[in-house]
Amino acid sequence: MSAKRSSINRPPTPDVDRDRENQEPTLQEIINIKMIESGEKERLKELLRERLIECGWRDEMKSLCRKKGRNNVTVDDLVHVITPKGRASVPDPVKAELLQRIRSFLASTAT
Amino acid sequence: MSLPNDDNMSAHSQLSSHFFEDLLDSIIVDVASECHRVARLGLDRNFEEEEEELRLSAQARARVADSSNNGETNSKYVVDIFGQTHPAVANEIFECMNCGRSIVAGRFAPHLEKCMGKGRKARLKVTRSATAAQNRYTRGSPGSSYSSYSNSTGMNRLSNGASSGVAGEEYSNGSFEEL
Repeated sequence: MSAKRSSINRPPTPDVDRDRENQEPTLQEIINIKMIESGEKERLKELLRERLIECGWRDEMKSLCRKKGRNNVTVDDLVHVITPKGRASVPDPVKAELLQRIRSFLASTAT
Repeated sequence: MSLPNDDNMSAHSQLSSHFFEDLLDSIIVDVASECHRVARLGLDRNFEEEEEELRLSAQARARVADSSNNGETNSKYVVDIFGQTHPAVANEIFECMNCGRSIVAGRFAPHLEKCMGKGRKARLKVTRSATAAQNRYTRGSPGSSYSSYSNSTGMNRLSNGASSGVAGEEYSNGSFEEL
């Protein structure tokens, strides 16, 4: 993946030239689809969102955004501002809880 | 960030971490998007207040660094960390929840003592009334005059100085009794 600034977390666009896309999807993709279809992904996201609000993480991120100022900010700017600190400052218990849930899900849908 | 049994389940753990990061990134984008919206629409009413507070705290810091406030006292008034002064007697006015009168905050404690029953007169007042909270009585007191009001909403004004602790009291049914 090239180091373009425009996006840091968008997955690479599937390339039609690559054969792989027509062959079996990866385990990751399979699980991702299962997670979405069963609604678990949405539940996990809501759980994570709730925990991050409770522990004040969201407020920290918002105040970081405010510091950036109000003039001509773009969403990408703000994403870049928040992401390093955001990823690093998730409290351990929150992360542990989510990982635990995800692992249970993986175990329950083990192929 | 190391998890126990990481070696045994490294594939699973990697997968879990991947999904976690995925969820987290998604939430980060949500937060950024909302902040972007607030910033562009000028919805953040607190934004100017924050700048104001930052300015005030910088000011206060400068004032502290400045030696004009020796030992924090300045004649009669003490200057606090925000540079505000406070009068000796707090001068906000509240309504007493017991009798409904308007009381100056600085005189609230003595008022409550009398109103709620520490003193002799207040205790008499309570025991003589069946519905003490509802009814009002005027109290005679040596040397002070009182006046009575009729009022449908129950809000009172003290006619005498509050420092004496005695004043005309309000009554809802229009009758009064002298102690």
